[in-house]
Parts: sequence; C-alpha cells; structure tokens
Amino acid sequence: MTRYVMIADLNRCVGCQTCTAACRHTNATPPGVQWRKVLDVEWGEFPDVQRLFMPVGCQHCADPPCMHVCPSTATAQREDGIVTIDYDLCIGCSYCTVACPYQARYKVDKPEFAYGDLPTENEAKRFDERTLGVAQKCTFCSDRVDAGLEQGLTPGIDPEATPGCVNACIADALSFGDIEDENSNVSELLAENTWFQMHAELGTEPGFYYLWDAEDKRRQTEAIDLDVQE
Amino acid sequence: MHAKVKPEVKRVSTYCYQCVNGPDLLTVETVDGVATKIEPNFDLRGEHPADGKVCVKPFGLVQKLYNPHRIKKPMKRTNPKKGRHEDPGWVETSWDEALDIVADKMNATRAKGVMDENGNPRLAFTTGGAATPFKYMGSFPALLFAWGPFDQSLGAGGTVKCYHTEHMFGELWHRAFTILPDTPRCEYIISFGMNIDASGGVTGVRRHADARKRGMKRIQFEPHLSVTGANATEWIPIKTKTDNAVLFSMLHVLLHETPIDKLDVPFLKHRTASPYLVGPNGFYLRDPETKKPLLWDNNSNKAVPYDHADADPALLGTFTVADAIEVGADEETWRHHRVEGATGLEKTRQMLADKTPEWASEISEVPAETIRRITGEYLAHAHIGETEIVDGRELPYRPVVTVLGKSVNNGWGAYECVWAHTMMQVLVGALEVSGGMLGSTTHVAGDTDWERSLTVEAGEDGFMTHTFTPTDKEGWDANPFTRHAHNSLTPMGGSKMGAQLFGSTTLAWLRLQGRAAESWPKPNPPDIWFLYKCNPAISHSETDKMGEAMAQFPFVAAFAYTLDESNHFADVIMPEATDLESDQLHRIGGGHYFENHWESEGWALRQAVIEPLHEAKDFSWIANELAKRTGLLEAYNGAINAGVCGIPLQTDDYDFSLELDKEHSQDEIWNAVSKAASHDLTGGKEILDLDWFRQNGFKTRPYSRLNWYLYHRLEDLGLRFELPYQERYYRMGKQLANRLHETGVHWWDKQLEEYEPLPEFKDLNRLWDEIIERNHDVKAGDYPFWLLTGRSMQYAWGGNVGIQLMKEVADNVYGHDGIVMNAGKAREMGIEDGDLIEVTSPVNSTRGYARLRQGVRPDVVVMIAQFGQWKMPFAKDLKRPGLNALVPMNVDSLDGGGSSIDGTKVYVTRIGAGL
Repeated sequence: MTRYVMIADLNRCVGCQTCTAACRHTNATPPGVQWRKVLDVEWGEFPDVQRLFMPVGCQHCADPPCMHVCPSTATAQREDGIVTIDYDLCIGCSYCTVACPYQARYKVDKPEFAYGDLPTENEAKRFDERTLGVAQKCTFCSDRVDAGLEQGLTPGIDPEATPGCVNACIADALSFGDIEDENSNVSELLAENTWFQMHAELGTEPGFYYLWDAEDKRRQTEAIDLDVQE
Repeated sequence: MHAKVKPEVKRVSTYCYQCVNGPDLLTVETVDGVATKIEPNFDLRGEHPADGKVCVKPFGLVQKLYNPHRIKKPMKRTNPKKGRHEDPGWVETSWDEALDIVADKMNATRAKGVMDENGNPRLAFTTGGAATPFKYMGSFPALLFAWGPFDQSLGAGGTVKCYHTEHMFGELWHRAFTILPDTPRCEYIISFGMNIDASGGVTGVRRHADARKRGMKRIQFEPHLSVTGANATEWIPIKTKTDNAVLFSMLHVLLHETPIDKLDVPFLKHRTASPYLVGPNGFYLRDPETKKPLLWDNNSNKAVPYDHADADPALLGTFTVADAIEVGADEETWRHHRVEGATGLEKTRQMLADKTPEWASEISEVPAETIRRITGEYLAHAHIGETEIVDGRELPYRPVVTVLGKSVNNGWGAYECVWAHTMMQVLVGALEVSGGMLGSTTHVAGDTDWERSLTVEAGEDGFMTHTFTPTDKEGWDANPFTRHAHNSLTPMGGSKMGAQLFGSTTLAWLRLQGRAAESWPKPNPPDIWFLYKCNPAISHSETDKMGEAMAQFPFVAAFAYTLDESNHFADVIMPEATDLESDQLHRIGGGHYFENHWESEGWALRQAVIEPLHEAKDFSWIANELAKRTGLLEAYNGAINAGVCGIPLQTDDYDFSLELDKEHSQDEIWNAVSKAASHDLTGGKEILDLDWFRQNGFKTRPYSRLNWYLYHRLEDLGLRFELPYQERYYRMGKQLANRLHETGVHWWDKQLEEYEPLPEFKDLNRLWDEIIERNHDVKAGDYPFWLLTGRSMQYAWGGNVGIQLMKEVADNVYGHDGIVMNAGKAREMGIEDGDLIEVTSPVNSTRGYARLRQGVRPDVVVMIAQFGQWKMPFAKDLKRPGLNALVPMNVDSLDGGGSSIDGTKVYVTRIGAGL
C-alpha cells in the first residue's frame, strides 16, 4: 500500500510564501485561491512572544470529513490517500467547504484575473472553465505524481514526480513521500523528529505532518493547542 | 471538428537578477510560446547551495511579462511643466524618434563638454538595488564608459537603505563589502537586527534552515519580532538605537571579566594590530629609522618593529619606549625619548572599562545577566584553539559570528557597532576563518565582486593595502567631482570604480534642494539623467522634496516597464525588455554578497524565454543604437572588449574581441562574451558559444572553499587585520578636517568628529532628539515612537509592487497591509486592530490601518517594505503607507561617512475605525 503525505518542518519554514506562489503557478489558480499558503502565527504577550510560520492546505485526511458530506460523490479518495474532487460531478453545494476543519477548500463562481476582468495572456492560456462553481483544493499535485510514476520516478524524490510547493521550498521545509514505505524520506523524517498533526483530536488522520522541536525551550508548545507527539 | 493539437511545451533556463543575492537560476515553462510557470533549475542540484531553487520574487516575473500596465512603446512628454500634479502628457512614439531625442540631447551635451561649470558631470545615471541593476543591463554600461565621466550621486536610497558603515570598514578590515557567517559551520550567531531570513536570498534561507536543524543557535536583538527573529533561538526586544551599548558591554565582558588566556591570544598577537603601541598624540609609536609601528616584545623586554622576527608581542599594558616617533596628520611628526605607549588592545580595554552590562542594561533594557550569559555562550562556542583542514590548509575553527542589520550598520552609531561586532570576532579569532565571520565581495578595495582574495596585498604598517581617497595636501580634491562630493568629503569610499556609490546620496539631494553645503555653489541638475530600475521619488527620504528637486531636471530618460513616481518626471520613457525577454551572460557562484559563497563558480545565461512583447527592446540593442547615434561606437566596442560585459574579450590567452569600428548585434556581443568566459573557465579546453549557453543554461567548475576565507592569505603575507585601533582613519580625519577648514568648509565638522581611533559611545536616542529639535520647530518628547521598517522578501528590490501575485502572497506575511503596533500600547491609546491611524514625523505624516501585534516594542511602530506609490498602476490603489516620506533629510543626520538611518521618531494618532 501507498499513502502519500506531506511534512512541513516548522523549524525550517521562514514564511516566505515561495510555496504559495509556486502552487499558484503550478496549478494556475486564480488570484486569492491559495491551495498552499503559509500562516504567520503569533502567540504570547510582549515581551514573551513567539512567532512561527505554518504551511497549510488540504491535509489529505485518511478519514476526510469533506468526502463524507459530499452529496454527489465528487470528493473521493485515491488508493494512495490523495483526496480528489471530480469537477464533473461537483454540484458546488459547498458542504465540503463547511465540513473541512482546515479551511482548505475554495469555490470560485466567476472568472477572476490578476488585472481586472480580462485575463492576461498566460491566464488565458491556462484558464480552466471546469474550475468555476465547484469546490477546489490542493491535489498534492496528483497529476505530477501520476506522470512521474508513469516514468518510473519516485514522488518526493524526483522533482518531476513531486508537488510544486515541495520543489519550490527554499528552506527545505516541505517534504513529500510515501508514509507506508518505512524507508521513505517522510518515514525517516517522522522517525527522527518530534511531530504533530493539526487538529489531531478530530480523528481525521491528516496526511500532513508538522515537525516541531518540542525540546526547544523557546517553543512554548503548551501555549498553543497542538498535539505534539514523541 | 478540429483535431486537438498537442500544445508545444518548452522549458528554458534563465536566471533571476532582481536582487543583490542573484543571479539565481530558474526554468520557465512556455506553452505555445506563452510563458506560464517559473520552476527551480534542478540541474544545479548539489552545486548551488540551495539546489537550484529561487525565492518568491521570480514567481512574479510571468505577471510582469504580461502586465497590462506595461509601457508598450517608447513615450515622450508633451507637457514641458514637470511636477507631481502635472500630467506629463505622454504620447507614444517610435524607437527611432525616442533614440534620436536621447542621442540628440547626448550630442548637444557633449558639445558643451561632459563636465559643467561646477566641475560636475553633465550626465547622471541612477539605479537602485545596491547598484545591482547596473550589472544586468546588458552592454549599456559600456555606453556609459564610452561617454566618459558620469555622476552616480543621485541615489535612490543608498547610504540610507544600505549597510554603509559595514561597507566602508568591512572592506578596510577584511574585504567585506557585506559580511556573512560561515553558516554551514557556524554554531552561534548574535544578530543585531539582521533580517537574514528575508534578505539573504535562497542560499541564505537554506543555509540558516540547515544550520538551525543541526543545532546552530541564533540570538536576535531587534525592537520587533521579524521573520528572522521568529526562527531565532531567542528574541531580545532591545530598545531602538541602543545596539552600540550592548555590543560595548559584550566587549567589556570579554576584556574585563574574562581572563585574557580565554581569548584567542595567538590571533590577537600575530594577526591583529592589538600589540601596536599608541603614543601620547594618538598615533602609533614608530621606529625612528624605519617608521614601522612598534610593539613591546616580552622576550627582549623592549619595543621592536611590528615585523621583528620571533617577537612575543605584549597584548595589554603600557610600556616605556626609549626612542620613537609619531606621525600624525600631514606628516606632522613628534620625536619621543622615554615615551609611554599603551597597546591598541590596552587602549580598547580602557575605553570599555565602564561599559558594564549593568550600564548597557540601563540604556538598552536588555538585562545585564542576559548580556553576560550570551557573551559567555558566544565564547564557549568559539572553540578557541581548534583548527580545521580546508583543502589541505589548516585554518582556525571558530564557529561564532555577530552580525548587524540595516540602520545598525549605517548612520550615527554604526561606527561603534561595526567596530564592536568585528572586535567580537577579533577577540576570539573568528575573523575570516572556518565557521567565523567572512566577507562577501569588494567594491571599495577592489573592482572585483567575484574574487575578493585577489585584493589582498601587502600594504603599509603590516596591513592590507587600501584605496582611500587622498586627504593629503597634494592629493585632496577640493572640487567636488560629483554632486555628493565623494572625492572631497568621504575618503573611506576609496577611489576605485565604485567609489561614487559610497558618497552621501542624501547630501547630493540636499545640495540640489539648496539645503546643504552652503559654502559650495548649489549644483546644477544634470543635463541628462538616466533612470533605470529604481524609484528615488519614493524610495529615498523626505519624498515630497525629492519630487520638487526632480521636477527641475531638464532632461530625464527613463528605462521602464511601467509608469512610476520617478519616470513621472521623465522626458522620454524607453521600454526595455524585461527579465524574461532579455539576454546576458553573467557570473554565478564563487563568493559574493550576503550568503552566496558556493563551492563552484561559472557563468549562466539570462535569455529571452519569449520574444520581447510589444516594442520592448533588449538593453544591448538600445546601447548599440545610442552608441551609433552619438558617434561613440568605437569607444563603446572598446569598453566591451576591455571587459565591461563581465570579462575581457582579449587577453594573452585568447582573442574574441569585437572589431571596434563596426556595429555588433547583441547576439554577437554575448557570443563573444560566452566564448571568452568559457575559455577562461576551462583554461581554454572548451570554447562555448551563445547557442551552447542557450541550450545548457550554465557552465561551472569547482571553487575551493579555501577561497571563502582570508586568514591564510594574511598569514602567507605576514599581514594583520587592522584592528582594534584605527590610526589610519584617525589621521585621515584630521587631514580631511585640515583640508576642509583651509577651504572654508565648516558645515561638515560634526561628521569629522567621528574620525576617532576608537569609537566613543554615543547616546543615540539623545542624539536623535537633539537632531530633531535642531532641525525642526518641535519638541522631541512629542515624538515618543521610533518608526522602523522591515525587509520584505516578496518586494525588496523587485520593483514589483505593481505585480498582483506579489501583493497577494506578501499579504500572508504580517504587517504588509498596515502599520504594526504593539497591541498593549495601542489599546492604551484606544486603537484597535484595523483602525485607521496617522503616523507623524517632524516632516510629514501618513495614514494606514493599525495591525496590532505582541511582537513589537511598545515604543516602536513598523512599516514593512516600501509603499507610498501614487503613480504606479495597481500599486497606487493599494494606498499603503510608506516610511520614506516621513524620514527627514538633513546634514545633521549624516554620520562621518555620509550615511543615515532608515527610521525616524514619530507620534501616532487614531483617526477612526477601519474599513
């Protein structure tokens, strides 16, 4: 079995948003639709303040609430764990958007472009009418994963088979791979580091892991609601 | 029914040159001839320190290409009246006419003479981004060199928004235009406001992330919790402009509370001027015969010249020297018998005697125990005595570094800070060695920005050579060559090719505004002003007055891709081919700028991934056309042959030179450069042409890590780092004072006071209060906040505020959309998050929405990036506040080197609820 997951190392991430921009390029999403973005989080009170940067997006849950509420079966899950949306089946009801605890879904009802009502040449070239009026979200760049696998490449290792955000990450904070393979890059990272999953208490079993150095005294992990696991 | 045609997809290698950190290679995907995606260039994996990745900025280049607000054709002004509120009356014109207008102006100017009646160049050229664009504008620089003298003093923000004092002293001390830690090996970094995770480019971000992962500690002193502070081991919210106090107290801990044998004694004795004896007049005691500085030899118990074989130099103490001379300013000489001389390190120790952590704590609000603890950790991580073999050479291994950020390393107080943080390296031997503080590139000491070690040569007194502008009677130039008078006022900038860039740009603008240098004539505006990739109208200080000055300029030719606040004052606008539409071969790798030390070096091609859109033209084409039309073709080709395009086209080993009297296309020029570069890189084994680079993108060879360091070069030449005592600088200042006073100049006296052999502590908060009250009819106490700015990786140097994608992603980073205030302080003032507030300095005010955070001192407000656009399409509609309009320009605020800080004192008023 294969389950693709993503890892964000919070000790590495600098919040530069290169992944955000790369995702916008890779997936040709319209302005404001950021399947991948990085939150700028602050907690504490001056002068005892902490700030961290947290990449977010679809968590590709093992038990995805969005899929359960989808009345049209548009949201589905592949055997490799990637949660998908079939634009042809989606009726745009937005139940999934409400059900997602990670605010990972977007719906765009009319064409939107960077500069006014008309697309620029690159936007026109990549405009996909199917994305209007339906739910959309991070796909873990499944098209890249599939194309890479067809060429015998390894997702998360070979750039051609790896999500655009991971390829672009300049801090090497994002990783992607098969968690079911105990020798994979992601399995090793999880074995060697302290990590947590966002809202793990909801039981969605996210396929997105956050590396987090709980030993570091500067990180007052108890101050924010994170389930840190050894 | 049409058959579905498979789109033609290509991937083209090119590079990003938007900031000083580049060029960073990338690939652009084109689909049916339309650029669609930016991606890393993974062909550089393992060679590029960030494995071929690029930062967020280049992802804006596709939108830049297809931006509907692009200037599509050359334009000329029809309204001769210039002003912010005047419509220039732009009309589109042909390239032929635009070039003729510019060439006619150049020819007419040349006929009058390239220098005006004040002795200033009639032609001026301004660019932004630490002059980075100058290196990427194709062959255009060759046209400027063919022209002759041109003025670069009308800066877009340099000396205010740069690391000016670090540039000056960094190059003197260790060929460091900017400094960097040997991050891949460093264990402990103390940072005073250096925002490296936003400013260090892809290699900086990657290296620091890797270093944190392996346990490197980074302590961030900064009044607000920046992007870099977020990932620091500790953030210490130091009071603004008190870094000098904390640094001095750290030196106090090392020199007064630490046994000397815990410091790097061999380094101090043999690689620094610590043992040089200082006489009663403040100059080195010298051997009367050889004039060599003396040190006290513990072996013979007498004073000997610094290069005496087998001497064991005394580091601390005062000694009686039988016979010595001192040589002061203008060769003034004192002869001494039985004279007392204290070592340079002793003088340093004495100066720091009362600079205790308790003293610094009162000033900086940093607890004394914190200062002691951090200094102790720094010392513990220095690994004094350990060595590492690098490419067969044994080097000291000292993995500790203290770094400074903007406005700590320029302006008043920067001399103290730059000296003190370099002394932090010196005391533990962590300068130019493995793990320690390194320099990046050279612009003052040399003309090379890719191999600084070439500039290490034996000079006087056991130090490296240096190229100060002369201040002696014969050599000093009383006539300001440039409008900021770099040759007459700021000798630390040297006399090399880049010297103009280190003069005070603030002074140039103040003089043009008739607000400075009253004993000198008010300079004329340049007859011709070329503007490229900069926006001084809003990027310099006190911006209202900038526009007024620029409106007086008779002829401005701007290269631009969109309208902006500066080309609003232009007469002709020429749309140059943008980043993804133009060609240029450029060096990559080696060692240069912030964190860009590689273990390979070579050349990479920027190439047009699509044909230039609209009527945009490649810079090299524009240069060719202007060279032809001005009769400068031969000199222009000559400048290219001489190496202006990055490498000489003719040497003893090869000849790819251009025929001087013929016009050469841009492809011919870059083909010749490609061949010369590849010949040089491979020792003649491979001669690669432009087509080869178009296909392959880049060519590299290994670059020894030993080249990252200078220690061994000094060791081989028996040289010393020129620290701690600044005798040459002291003498230079006295000579400069003599020259200026002899010619009736007294308005620079405050700046002359900074030429101290050891920098005395200044209370900078008091100094700023005094400056405000002296220059404006206000009470300093009415301005309780410091207004600071912060680096935005998304925007810095990109000229990209009009790019929607950049705005969108930058808004994910806190503070880009408003004014950051401390939440507790704001609420005390009745201000809630999102409220409209007004920030007022002694010269101007601006409005924006309050963004409340805990990670900022209660006495500080922060405006990230540079906004305030009123003309640039898209950007002007953001209506975001900019700091620059509020920062006063006055001579008082300039330090000895002519730089000033990127901040000001302000007060804050709530205007009302937000949107």
